[in-house]
Amino acid sequence: MKYIPLLKVSLKALRSNKSRALLTMLGVIIGVAAVILLVSIGNGLKTFITKQLEDLGSNLVVVLPGEIDVKNFSFSAGSQAALAGLATSKLKIIDAENIKRDVPLLEETVAITLSNSVVRFGNESKISQVIGTTDNYTKVRNSPLREGEFFTQKDVDSARRIAVLGATVAKDLFGDKSPLGEKIFIGDFPYEVIGVLEEKGAMGFINVDEQTIIPVTTAQRQLNLDNVNMIYGQVASPDEVSAAIKEVDQVLSTRLEKDDYTVVDQKEVLSAISSILSVITISLGGTAAISLLVGGIGIMNIMLVSVTERTREIGLRKALGATPETILAQFLIEAVILSIGGGLIGIVFGVTGSLLLNLIFPMTLIWWSVILAFFVSVAVGLLFGTMPAMRAAKLDPIDALRYE
Amino acid sequence: MANNTKNNVLLKLSNVEKVYRMDGISIKALDGISLMIKAGEFVAITGASGSGKSTLMHIIGCLDTPTNGEVFLDGQKVSDFSERQLAVVRNQKIGFVFQQFNLLARTSALENVALPLIYSDLLESKIEEKAKEALNRVGLSDRLHHHPNQLSGGQQQKVAIARALVTNPSLILADEPTGNLDSKSGQEILKVFQQLNQQGNTIIFVTHNQQVAANAQRIIKIKDGKIEEK
Repeated sequence: MKYIPLLKVSLKALRSNKSRALLTMLGVIIGVAAVILLVSIGNGLKTFITKQLEDLGSNLVVVLPGEIDVKNFSFSAGSQAALAGLATSKLKIIDAENIKRDVPLLEETVAITLSNSVVRFGNESKISQVIGTTDNYTKVRNSPLREGEFFTQKDVDSARRIAVLGATVAKDLFGDKSPLGEKIFIGDFPYEVIGVLEEKGAMGFINVDEQTIIPVTTAQRQLNLDNVNMIYGQVASPDEVSAAIKEVDQVLSTRLEKDDYTVVDQKEVLSAISSILSVITISLGGTAAISLLVGGIGIMNIMLVSVTERTREIGLRKALGATPETILAQFLIEAVILSIGGGLIGIVFGVTGSLLLNLIFPMTLIWWSVILAFFVSVAVGLLFGTMPAMRAAKLDPIDALRYE
Repeated sequence: MANNTKNNVLLKLSNVEKVYRMDGISIKALDGISLMIKAGEFVAITGASGSGKSTLMHIIGCLDTPTNGEVFLDGQKVSDFSERQLAVVRNQKIGFVFQQFNLLARTSALENVALPLIYSDLLESKIEEKAKEALNRVGLSDRLHHHPNQLSGGQQQKVAIARALVTNPSLILADEPTGNLDSKSGQEILKVFQQLNQQGNTIIFVTHNQQVAANAQRIIKIKDGKIEEK
């Protein structure tokens, strides 16, 4: 079989109807571009969220109230209530102190209360997440100060009414003015601003810039409660996290019931989220792959039309000695040229699209998705080209020559 | 020219039958045809429409196989051949000339003539040279790059004859070659066939036109699927 003349015949047939060829390729172009773009979006999202979670603070052991199964994302009724409100949490500051004392792996422990309050300065007010915590919070949470200072152990012990503002809170209440030393109201109580955190931007579910931080003791006194929402513990290296979790669990179990608390680590949360995002990426890619399938059906459709239109030509070629395999090859080549052409154009659109969109949205171009999309488009051409090509190959030369 | 020495048996049919089944009814298109054609002959097969002459032409042209009986072409028993083998025989041994010319539109005379060669064993680099040679033989060496719609009916049929000649076949099979031409062009085409025959080519005409058939050395009349005795 002479492939170069066959290729020339196929190219000539496609050239004689350029707009039809282009429209047929459009299905594959859109399919391939969509696969590349959507996989980029899914992976971009994964990279972005993973990075944000890592930024929250590394090597963390987190104690949450109630029973939570992070891997299966199931929350007991108690844990939901505990996350919603401080009142139902059984965790206390003493637990943070106990684990700090009894688990040597922990370098720091931080107890935290969470509540939402109106924060007011003069006529400006906004709702902020108020975090009650201890003096070592910034170390564990990896949130440095832009100006002023954080409160000290002494401030916590004496439950002083002092506050450190998130960047957005400071900007909304004070504009460009420095808030240091100013008096603000959190709920009905006056506080003195002693520091402002550096701007960090929204990180996953938590926006540090929207927070107001006060001593945990002050928060408890104001809310008239002695429990906390969560405890963070920091270990020296990620390898020590699982060992620390076991020990923390042991220490906590002496004072608390098993369903009163859950010890989780960032890694577990990360792997759970990243597995969800992988599923999302695959389903996005799969959805796009359906359009590739539709593109393949478009190729099959136009190839069937082409075979019917060229019935006489096929009859002639057979009479002149073309074997069924040669005819099959000729039409398969034509279908594959359409799908490869569409695939290559689709790759150009998909790659430039994801590189451009990366400027406004986190996109990570994955090279395997480009290679995969290309091979899938070749396969689509072969798969959907086969039926029309077989039909051409099976034509009876006598009938085909008579075809009007 | 043809690689057969004159007077050797080129084509032999013995007791060839062709039965078509349509809606459960059998129609006998050919009913025991036996004939022999020697290399270098110029034969016309004639008959009214429905006589079976088209079916006979398809079997001689290796486009179809008989239901019963044997067909030998150039010593090969082609009646037993597979579709694939028949394609090769058509390519190597038979040159077709059709009533409708059957040239590819928007394709130059040269490319049209080269068409059978791309299905042959000939080296690709030799294809153009061979095609030019064939066009030269029918006197169209100045029309190599013309498309069919730029040629007259007679010229188109000459291109088709060149296409039939280009593989140097054992047999040229022409189906009503002058049927679509005016009488002057028809005469010219018949003259080309006469010349080719004088150069040693074996030619079979299939026609219902007695005047055209008269150009041949021998006439085989078909009626109701049988050879009519003279």
